[in-house]
This record gives sequence, structure tokens and C-alpha cells, in this order.
Amino acid sequence: MMKVIALAGNPNVGKTTIFNALTGLRQHVGNWPGVTVEKKEGILEYKGQKFLVVDLPGTYSLTAHSIDELVARDFLLKGSADVVVNVIDATALMRNLFLAMEILEMGLNNVIIALNKIDLAEKHGIEINVKRMEEVLGVPIVAMSAKEGAGLDELKEKIHLMANGMLKERPVIPQYDPEVEREIEHIMAVLKGTELGEEYNLRWLAIKLLQRDDGVIKLILRHLGSEKLDEIMGHIAEVEERYKRAMDLIIASQKYEFIDRLMHRFVRYTKVEGESFSDQLDRFLTHPVYGLLILFGVFYLMFKFVFAVGLPLQGYLDDAFTAFGEWLAPHIANEALRGLLVDGIIAGVGSVLSFFPLVFLLFLALSVLEDVGYMARAAVVMERIMRKFGLPGKSFIPLVLAFGCNVPAVMATRTLDDERDRLLTMLVNPLIPCSARLSVISFLAGAFFASHQALVAVSIYATAVLLALLVAWLLSRFVIRGEESPFIIELPEYLIPSWKTVTLHSWERSKEFIKKAGTIILLGSMAIWYLSSYPVQMGTGGSYAERLGMFFEPYMRLMGLDWKAAVSLLFGIIAKENVISTYGIIYGSEEAIVGAMTPLQAYVLGMVTTLYVPCIATIGAIRAESNWKWATFTVVYMISLASLVGILIWNVGTALGY
Amino acid sequence: MIVPLNALRPGDRGIVVNILGGPTARQRLVGMGLTPGATVQIIESHQYGPIIISVGGVRFAIGRGMAAKVMIRKL
Repeated sequence: MMKVIALAGNPNVGKTTIFNALTGLRQHVGNWPGVTVEKKEGILEYKGQKFLVVDLPGTYSLTAHSIDELVARDFLLKGSADVVVNVIDATALMRNLFLAMEILEMGLNNVIIALNKIDLAEKHGIEINVKRMEEVLGVPIVAMSAKEGAGLDELKEKIHLMANGMLKERPVIPQYDPEVEREIEHIMAVLKGTELGEEYNLRWLAIKLLQRDDGVIKLILRHLGSEKLDEIMGHIAEVEERYKRAMDLIIASQKYEFIDRLMHRFVRYTKVEGESFSDQLDRFLTHPVYGLLILFGVFYLMFKFVFAVGLPLQGYLDDAFTAFGEWLAPHIANEALRGLLVDGIIAGVGSVLSFFPLVFLLFLALSVLEDVGYMARAAVVMERIMRKFGLPGKSFIPLVLAFGCNVPAVMATRTLDDERDRLLTMLVNPLIPCSARLSVISFLAGAFFASHQALVAVSIYATAVLLALLVAWLLSRFVIRGEESPFIIELPEYLIPSWKTVTLHSWERSKEFIKKAGTIILLGSMAIWYLSSYPVQMGTGGSYAERLGMFFEPYMRLMGLDWKAAVSLLFGIIAKENVISTYGIIYGSEEAIVGAMTPLQAYVLGMVTTLYVPCIATIGAIRAESNWKWATFTVVYMISLASLVGILIWNVGTALGY
Repeated sequence: MIVPLNALRPGDRGIVVNILGGPTARQRLVGMGLTPGATVQIIESHQYGPIIISVGGVRFAIGRGMAAKVMIRKL
């Protein structure tokens, strides 16, 4: 059995950098069983021994409220790790030691502290005597600067020693006021008679019970019964009465006081900091006016970069797939098989896979913004606006991602810590026009509105974004109600990103896109090919696809469209760029398409394409991140919305004489 | 003088004395270091939207609603 090393720590402490440095490319990302929290694992090899390194979700505390916290806590609590490496940020010792104390309080005896960003701390005038700190805390400490690669070898050595039982520790644990300690002892005495003692650290259980931790209350209720539990809770209420404060606050503040006393023994502050450059920058970047202008500028440049570099690459890839299909075709004798492979699979999957450069570049750009520290500031600026629509500022990031591709955007809602916010953001996400829809919009705008091309495109985009906000507001009002999550976000120190971390992260993210294309879109492409080739080739009016289209024709007529639009939209469900390619197949040439529709019809088609059902991959992503119920809900509401808007535009447009 | 955090102006400093409100929000603040006894400085505060604060060398943006529940003794 490989020994397991768990990495724990606050967000933004450099955990990921350390994880990457320890495991290199031998890592993979999945989900924790049963929940959609990223599970990152990798292999560390040192002195001929292999270790499994698990990167726990970054958390501020182990009072389990979010799934992230629960995952991290359960992993540590169950003793699943042979060594726990607690990464702490030397520039924010107080807060980071809070988590360290919570970990030690669980009674763990296998903790190493990786004191990261030690160089940055020195720059801030924070002098840490590491040797002294080691004595005071009673655990091995490695001073590191993970970005520079400093301290890594020492960390590996200590992991190796501890995993093999050659490094012992005697951790300090927080002591509270006598009154609180008396309560802890009282509860411990009651728990002693039960089986709980075999599985858990009793002191930890007692402290968590004092904090009224839901999970622990349920656990103790099962073992003690309600009468004894009520008695204990009564005690707690009395103590709170005397302190005039809730117990979890009493414990937290006494824990901080304890940490403060410890810190005096190994930390010296050599300079008093005035307003730093970061403070000034923050005032500017989070300003309601300048901040918003900068935000638009930053994202404009980002999209410019992504499309300038990505679109040509997409073209090459698309050509490559076409060329591959053409090369392969003559080698296959069986006509049906050739059709399936060349026109179905290669053409279908290829057209989606060719979007990979765009998706990767978008993730790359966003990872850079994230690592620089800008994303948190963007969330602050957007909070003012989005909160009015029931969305938190943090959901701005997944919504921006959606302009590239809805699939990774839906997956990115995982970064939201509140379940309600997550669901809301996920459900309105597909309304944001992705790059596939950009191809449809730009084709129609170019072909039908030569002089007002940009205006038409912008109006469709703006309508989609406004509808997304409106739907969010409606959903938060009437469907997914519940308390608005409190907004608090750390503004991390501005940093120059590490290219290795950024590239690895973008690759991990965009890999899921390929996986989706490989499965769902493969099946979809085969279905399209079948529907359009049987019982006769499409273009003759007799294929299944065309018959289906004619079935929907009466409905399409409400918005001024015909059966051909129905077929195209149907195929657009696989991937939205199919809408245009299907038109191409039916009509044969661009001129024929232009001749067959009025500008108003083209506008309606562009709008409906943008708003109706998300592509199959997105529906699949929503299902994976929530459930079938919400995936179906999204499909239904989007079809209704698209129909409504389509019918409205057609009728108003005709009435106005267009 | 004890006031809610959202009443302070940029540059003001104070010590947290209590946090009102439900346990979920409270414990989130506590985990981030905004606990009774901590010194807070206001970096930026506008009429609407989050307030930027600094606690223990770390900067945070905190929503107005939350900030109204953090009681501060002004320094």
C-alpha cells in the first residue's frame, strides 16, 4: 500500500504550487465520491518510495458548512492520511494558524507545517524564528518559497521520515478559559462511556459540540439519546448567558487569543506598514466606476487575445479533420460505414474538437487573471451589479467562461460556495452565447445585414445577456429561493503567476471538454448522420430529419420560420454550429440561403439559435453537476423563452413592415 | 463607541467586539480571521457594494449586509 500524503490549507496559500512541485505531471483530477468537489491526486517518488499525494480542497476552517470543508474534514478525521502537510501562508500567520490549530485539535499526530511564502513575509517585515516556532507548536516545520522551489527537498525529506515513523511530534493544542475547559471536560466525561471514544478524539468532539456543529450533534444524539444531549446543551446555554456571546464565537476568539500568545514567542514585526502599493491598487480596481471600466478593458483584451490566437488554430484543426475525412473516404468500401465514419463521426466530432484551442486559451487567460489575483477584484466590482439580479459577484467568473464554451463554464460553478448560488448560475449559464453561437450569429449578420453587421450581432448578444440576468432574477425570486449567501472574499496578494501551474490547470480544465466531445457528441453525431441519411439522403425531402422538420413546421411558422429551420435547430442541439452547416446541406450554397430568407427571418433564426436548448454537452454538464430534474428544467425554460422571443420579434417585425 | 463595521469610513480602525447573525455567516467570518479581538482597518468603502477591509495583514471584500452585523469598537 502506498502511503497517503494529504495537503491541507487555506485558499491562496500556494497549495497547488506545492502539489504540482511534488507530483509533477503524474497527477489526475476527478471528483470526491458522491460530491462534485475536485479531487486532485498525484504520485510523489522520493528515495525509491512512492507516495499518493491528495490535495484537499482549500478551506479557512474545518467547521463544516460547505461541501469543501466537509470533504477536507472527513478525510482528516477518518485518519485517511499517513502524513498531513498543512500549508500555511507566512504573510497571514494568524489566520492560517487557526486552521492549523483546528487540525491539531483533532488529535492528529502526523502533521508537518509547510511555512510557505517565507520570502514574502520577510519583505513585509515579518521575522519568523522557524526553530522557535517548531518548539512552540511541537510539529516539524519547513520554511518554503514554493514558487522559487525553495524548501521542497526538505519537505520531501520530512514527509519521507514521518511516513516511515522516523519523525515524531508533540503538537500543542489550544487551551481555553477555565470555564470553557470545564465544559469540555464535562462533555468528555459523558462521552467516555460510549463507543465514540474508539473512533474519534473526545476533546475534538466536545469542542465541536460546544460549537453546535450539526454533524457532531447528530452523531452524539445517536450515541447518547436526546435527554443527555439536551442536558449538555442546557449547560452550554448557561455559559453563553454569562459571556453574552454565542459559544462558537467564544471558542473562536479564545483560539485566536491562544494563537496570539504562541506567536509572540516566535514572530517579530520589524516594520510598521503604511498604505502599500496593493492597497492603492485595490482602491482603484474595486472602485465602482474605474473598477468597472478596467474590468471591461481587461475582458475585452482577453477575448481579443483568445480569438486572435484561437480562431486561426480552430480553422487549421477544422481543415485537418476535413482533410482526414477526405483521405479516409476512398479507403472504405462499404458505403454506409464510410458515411458513418466520414460524414458522421469525423465531421461531427471534428467540428466540436476544433473548438479546443479556443477553450484552452480562454482557460489559460482566466487562470492567469486568477493567479495574478485579479479575479477576486472582478468579483467585487460585479457584486454591486449582479446582486440586484439575485446572483453573487463570484458567479461572474463562470458566466464569463460561458462566452467561450458553456460546458467548462457549468463545471466552473463549483467554485461558488453556496448551493443556491451554484444552481442559479448553472441554470442561466447556457443563455450566455458561446463561441459556437458566435459562428452562427456572425454568419447570419454577415450574410443578411451587410451594413449593420456589428449592430445585429451586438443586439443578439445583449438580448441574451439581459435575458440571463432577468431569468436569474426570476428564478431567485420564485424557483430557487432561500437566503442570499453573505458576500466575503479574500483579496489575495498580487502575484506574478507561475506558468507551470497555469498551464497545468488550464489543461486539466479543458481536458474535460475533450472527454465530453468524445462521448456525448460522438453519439449525437452518429444520430445526426443516421437521421439525415436514411431512408434517403437529405436534400431530397424524404430523410427522417426532413420529415421531423416538417412535423415541427406549424410551430416554426409562429416565428416566421420553416421546416428547414426546424431541421437545423434540431441538429444544433448536438452543437450549435450545426445550425449553419445543416442549412448549407439543405440549400447547397450560401447564395441559396440568402435568397431563401428575409433579413427579419434571419434575425429571428439568429436569436432563436442563441436562446433555445443548450447543446447536448452542456445539458450533460448540468446533469452531472446537479441532476436530471434541473437539466430538464433548463431545456424546457430555454425552449419556451426562445419561442416567446422568436414569436415576439417576428410579429412585431412584420407589423413594422420589415 | 460601538458601531457596525459598515458605519466606519476609509482609514478608520477598530476592534471587533461581537458578530451578530446566524452561525453560518458568523463562522465563515471567524475562519477568515474576523473574530472578536481582531483589529480591522477600512481600506475602501463606497455607498453601494462591498467594503474593502484589512485584518491581520489580509485584505477582504465584505458585503454591506454582512458588515452591518460585525460590531466594532472604534479606535
